[in-house]
Amino acid sequence: MKKSNFAWTNYLYLLPAVVLVAVFFVTSIGYTLRLSFYEYDGFSAMRFVGIENYRHLFQDANFKISLMNTVIWVVFSLVFTLALPLLLAVLIKNSAWVGGFKNIFYYPTALSSTIGGIIMVAILSKYGIPQLFGLLGFESWVRDWLAIPYVNTFIMILMGTWQGVGLNTILFITGLSTIPSSPIEAAKIEGARTTQLYTKVIFPLLQPTTVVVLLMSLVNSFKVFDSIWVMTKGGPYRTSETLALTMYQESFIHGKFGVGAAVAVVLTIMILIVSYFNIRNTFGDTDRTA
Amino acid sequence: MKKASRGRIVVNSVLILLSIFWIFPAVFAIIGMFKKKQEYNLGNFWDLPKGISLAENLKGIAGTFGMIKGMANSFLYASVSAGAAVIIAILAAYAISHLKIKRPMVWFLFIYSGTIFPFQIYLIPVYKGLTVSQLYDTQLGMILFYTAICVPFCMFVLRNYFLSISKEICESAKIDGCNSLQILGHIFVPMSTAPLAVIFLTQFNWVWNELMFGLTFTKSREIRPVMAAITLMDKANVPVILMACVVASIPTLLLFFLLNKHFEAGYAYQSK
Repeated sequence: MKKSNFAWTNYLYLLPAVVLVAVFFVTSIGYTLRLSFYEYDGFSAMRFVGIENYRHLFQDANFKISLMNTVIWVVFSLVFTLALPLLLAVLIKNSAWVGGFKNIFYYPTALSSTIGGIIMVAILSKYGIPQLFGLLGFESWVRDWLAIPYVNTFIMILMGTWQGVGLNTILFITGLSTIPSSPIEAAKIEGARTTQLYTKVIFPLLQPTTVVVLLMSLVNSFKVFDSIWVMTKGGPYRTSETLALTMYQESFIHGKFGVGAAVAVVLTIMILIVSYFNIRNTFGDTDRTA
Repeated sequence: MKKASRGRIVVNSVLILLSIFWIFPAVFAIIGMFKKKQEYNLGNFWDLPKGISLAENLKGIAGTFGMIKGMANSFLYASVSAGAAVIIAILAAYAISHLKIKRPMVWFLFIYSGTIFPFQIYLIPVYKGLTVSQLYDTQLGMILFYTAICVPFCMFVLRNYFLSISKEICESAKIDGCNSLQILGHIFVPMSTAPLAVIFLTQFNWVWNELMFGLTFTKSREIRPVMAAITLMDKANVPVILMACVVASIPTLLLFFLLNKHFEAGYAYQSK
């Protein structure tokens, strides 16, 4: 009797966390999924419309642009936040000032992406860098760079790179430090050149870190909201929206909560596909027994 | 030998060159924030400020835009939510890693699921739920939500850490007559002060830096957190905005230097 009572109290430890997650998140997922099949303006009664919201989305030019922008964000940030940090990590490890360089490339990551975005808006406005190009004779460049459709997405990705490489660089530096030294020594003795040493020995050994960084960056680049919202609000004319912004626009600006919910569901499906590999990678071997 | 040293020069030069790009935005913001509005709009950004307009721009921040109130709000939300989330996560992580419960992995995944989905899927229902329960645009509503969103990640980190604490210690404490709560309080918490401090600070930082929920779940200046307040400032007065950015980054930068010693421990907890 006493024993069963004891086990029952063990669940009390879980209670607050489980209640919060259930109330705020698990029910929310169900609600959003359901809402995506309804028409709802936030005030009147919800009206069931079946898959109409999804049909509307895939015929909507804005949504197609948004989907395209999301893919561009994911592909390009992947290149920048994977290749550049790897290069930086190798350089920093061989530099004369490891601690200092780590800090320099990491500090933007510590800042809020809202702050980073606002500073970038100032730098890329007519009073910032474009002014410099004006003095060099490129008069047509003197304009607000973030207001140039389609170009601004790439500029924002570069800005994301400025804020995003820090964490991955640190992860790679840590990864490089944990590589066992014996295979490297052996390759050196056999006369491997520095480039060979990296491509044939060090990078393959670094693969576990690379997979973690890859999957994490992939998920994060789908989720970017704050910095785009601050820099362009998805404009001009909704040309720089990604799915994260389209969801917000449709729901909270245009009052089409059903359509917004459908966008959220599409985004979720894309992220879940990546997360599946992420979770399998995180819990793959160690926790199956736990 | 000669070749190696030349390699080092190349490495250091490339890094110094890249560093200039990485430091530039901070320098831009700091120089800009000392200028007057006209001086900024008419001059070149690389000119040094003529005289320091610090007091005037600070007055601009304190003025109509709710920056100071926003910082006070964010401090409240970040400290209370991060603290509550850490406590709730300690309890859950302890139960999952060391107490006798059925299917610990299912409970773990249930709570962990909070970190997997994109935040957009929570936005409408939580907005609606807060409105219905009259918690929309209230401090309590913000604290509750931020607590909830910090819990899954804290639990994830702490569970990993608790799993490394051996069961033998608990067994011997149990034999000495400790109940499970005493074991948690006397053994687990003291053994994990470092990770607890790190996750508290990083969650504080996350809440402080967060924009989307702050923008969506508040409407009045009295409730709005700092990042949302900054985005609603007057775009025309750039020096004041830049100063607001620098001021609002002070907690983040303090934290960055605080965590610097625990860099390797701290980095892993930065992302959500």
